[in-house]
Amino acid sequence: MSSGHEIDRRTFMKIGTTALSANLVPALEAEAKSPGETPYPVKWYPFSRKPDSDTCWSLSVGPDGRIYAAACAESVPGGVVVPVRYNEEHDNLDYLFNLAEMVDDPGDSGRATQCKIHYSFAPSMQDGVLYMATHLSGPPIDLPRYSPWYSWHDAKRCFRGSALLAFDTRTDRVLWWDTLIPKEGCRCLLHDEERGLLYAMSYPRDHFIIYDLHTRKRRDIGRISSINPQALFLDKKHRVWTSSDYGRLVRYTPETDRLEISPGLLAHDANYQTGWHSVFYDVAPSPDRECVYASTWCPNPHLMRIWLNDGEWPKVEDLGAATQPRDTTFPVDMFTDHCGGLTFAGDGNLYYVASRWRDPKYNPIPGTGKELQGVVWRLDPRTLERQEVTQLKHPAGVANYVSRGAVDHNGDLFFGHVGNRPSGIFKVSMPASRKRKNAHLPIRMWG
Amino acid sequence: MQTEGRFDPKSPAIKAYENELAHQFVREGTMVAFPTCLPGMTTPITHDECHITALDIDPEGQIYGGTSGRQAHLFVARFHDLTGVVLDAGPVPDSTNSVAVCAGASHAIGFVNGARGGRAIAIPKIDLAQDWIQEWGLDPPVLQDLGPCVANEPLVHAICDPSRSTVIGVTTSHLFTMEIESGKVSVIGEVSGRGRLGMGSSGIFGQDDGARLWHFDLASGKIRRKAVDLPEGEWNSGLRWARGGDPGQLLTADDAGRLFSFDENHGFRSLGKAHLAPVGPMAMIPDGRLFGFCGTEIANLFCCDTVSGSVSNLGVAASVLEKRRYGYQFGDGVVGPQGEIVFGEDDNDGHLWLYFPKIKSVTRRTS
Repeated sequence: MSSGHEIDRRTFMKIGTTALSANLVPALEAEAKSPGETPYPVKWYPFSRKPDSDTCWSLSVGPDGRIYAAACAESVPGGVVVPVRYNEEHDNLDYLFNLAEMVDDPGDSGRATQCKIHYSFAPSMQDGVLYMATHLSGPPIDLPRYSPWYSWHDAKRCFRGSALLAFDTRTDRVLWWDTLIPKEGCRCLLHDEERGLLYAMSYPRDHFIIYDLHTRKRRDIGRISSINPQALFLDKKHRVWTSSDYGRLVRYTPETDRLEISPGLLAHDANYQTGWHSVFYDVAPSPDRECVYASTWCPNPHLMRIWLNDGEWPKVEDLGAATQPRDTTFPVDMFTDHCGGLTFAGDGNLYYVASRWRDPKYNPIPGTGKELQGVVWRLDPRTLERQEVTQLKHPAGVANYVSRGAVDHNGDLFFGHVGNRPSGIFKVSMPASRKRKNAHLPIRMWG
Repeated sequence: MQTEGRFDPKSPAIKAYENELAHQFVREGTMVAFPTCLPGMTTPITHDECHITALDIDPEGQIYGGTSGRQAHLFVARFHDLTGVVLDAGPVPDSTNSVAVCAGASHAIGFVNGARGGRAIAIPKIDLAQDWIQEWGLDPPVLQDLGPCVANEPLVHAICDPSRSTVIGVTTSHLFTMEIESGKVSVIGEVSGRGRLGMGSSGIFGQDDGARLWHFDLASGKIRRKAVDLPEGEWNSGLRWARGGDPGQLLTADDAGRLFSFDENHGFRSLGKAHLAPVGPMAMIPDGRLFGFCGTEIANLFCCDTVSGSVSNLGVAASVLEKRRYGYQFGDGVVGPQGEIVFGEDDNDGHLWLYFPKIKSVTRRTS
């Protein structure tokens, strides 16, 4: 995974560990509270009460309009995930529960752990439930790493399975839990509330899973590819969409109970890419639900607008690369070159975070040393004009890798971040002119 | 059971574990996953119609295959010289499962099951030995439905006789033969139609009731029920036999993954045990190494050296040449003309996996 840059994903985590061991975190937190002069002030909220957290893969708005995030501990032997919620009254984070204990699969089980929630919060508006499903990769407490392929047949070590929880945001209680996918993690989750169905992608086998909330039964519709797509999404006809390894749309139609693959490719850089690995990273629905905006999980990720309700297969508009040009004769890792956190805000514009990094030719940022930036962009869907509105700033670490973004019921932006320890979330306060009450509605039904 | 304590990252056990993880995919040899198309020229077989469950190879190295899924397809493939092509010969209407493909001397026959029962499908002679970029010529093949082999009985398996002029097949309860040239079927008699067929030195063996094999003598055309006792083991699932190997030598595995060789003169010989069960497709290359897949859901490749008697875990199938793909389930395998193995992937968007085993080290003679 090394890219030749000094900082890769593991190094991100080490930076955070160093800061923690030096007892710097509280001071840094205080420093980060200064929003600065930008009209989009940024504030960092570390998972201070979950100091071993190394990633935040899930951040979503709940059915109550509040922001939920996952304090994940995936590189920690025995590490477990703790869901958190932004407390707007006290401007801090509430730590909701130890998920592993909640599902009777504690971190010291000797198995791979319930270490994270990966793009797998999905709201239920009718009853205020937030569904969440866990993912794997956290090693057993007495091993340094975990591989689902290696331990698949090892009853002692193998991940027990993705745990699905129904969390009642009105009472802060877990109503029930079940195993969503035995032995596998849930890479991403979607809720079709009208049909009472959850959809999930399994990892590592990349199977498409349907879970019936009424019967609590699971069906495996089959394998898609090898590289997991990072998002599932829904259209008005209750069809579920994702992507294959080869950069094609994959569509599940409930009436035919079949996965189909599009003839066309998703957007990619045709100069050197073929569409392979152009899987969806993040997908945000437009407020009118006529189209979605998406980014891909590959180098030079492209933004797309996809019109789901038109034609036999949707029109895919390539909105261009989300990140900077680079030397394509040398690979770049996807922690450096990244775009995520797509969400519509109350002003009707799309916001997302794209990385930017020092490059001697394409981005010769003044100064010395490594520089990674997380740039918050605003895209006007009427004109497709993009404008840089602010940069995410971490007091000591990096701020370039945003997993997911969401807008809360007050109209402010939040972004989950990966790369520091402890991990945490960013809040980007929206200018008053761009805020709107209940800006999170209509709510996104997938993680 | 709760596990106590942490670990010492420098301990030999942890270092050994890290080393295992570093080699969890294809520890020996090279795998190449080839899509069911002429890359860049045609589209692959539809992903949910592309579980490759049947393979055969003719003496020229041309591979014939059948798929399962929403609709079965029959295909032809070739990888040597200037070929590198998988040609979809077409879907078979009303069929969902290919149980066997037999590469006859004149043409190939596919055996499929589906809504209209078990049927034989003739694949016309297709010559893929051409330069598949330029100046090739081929009309789209037309499959010919030869009808059922035994009325109202699903097919289980079929293989060619050594001359490749006759197919010997089995339904759920009958043995039949088919002349490949004419397509004429003769029902020979009742047998237990469990598992696949193996070719011995004098005839065909199939799994009989009660942990035994029946035998069909090719010269006399007679079936002998309960002809051979299977060795001690677990024999409840349908038998599979390895492809390749010496004429008359058969290799199989029981439900627990115990590996055995069998020949008509010496009976069964234990070869060891695969580390997972059940054992799937296996193929033996000319140097005596038997390769196969074992385990459910995410199968592992294993190697049994029938000469040294060792059995080793070669990890999960992965192809990294051109595009990465992981291989989890396999339906059949054949030995290619130069000692490579071609496995058929029994999964959505199944590929043909060419496996080039590691070359064995050579001990040089000193003068």
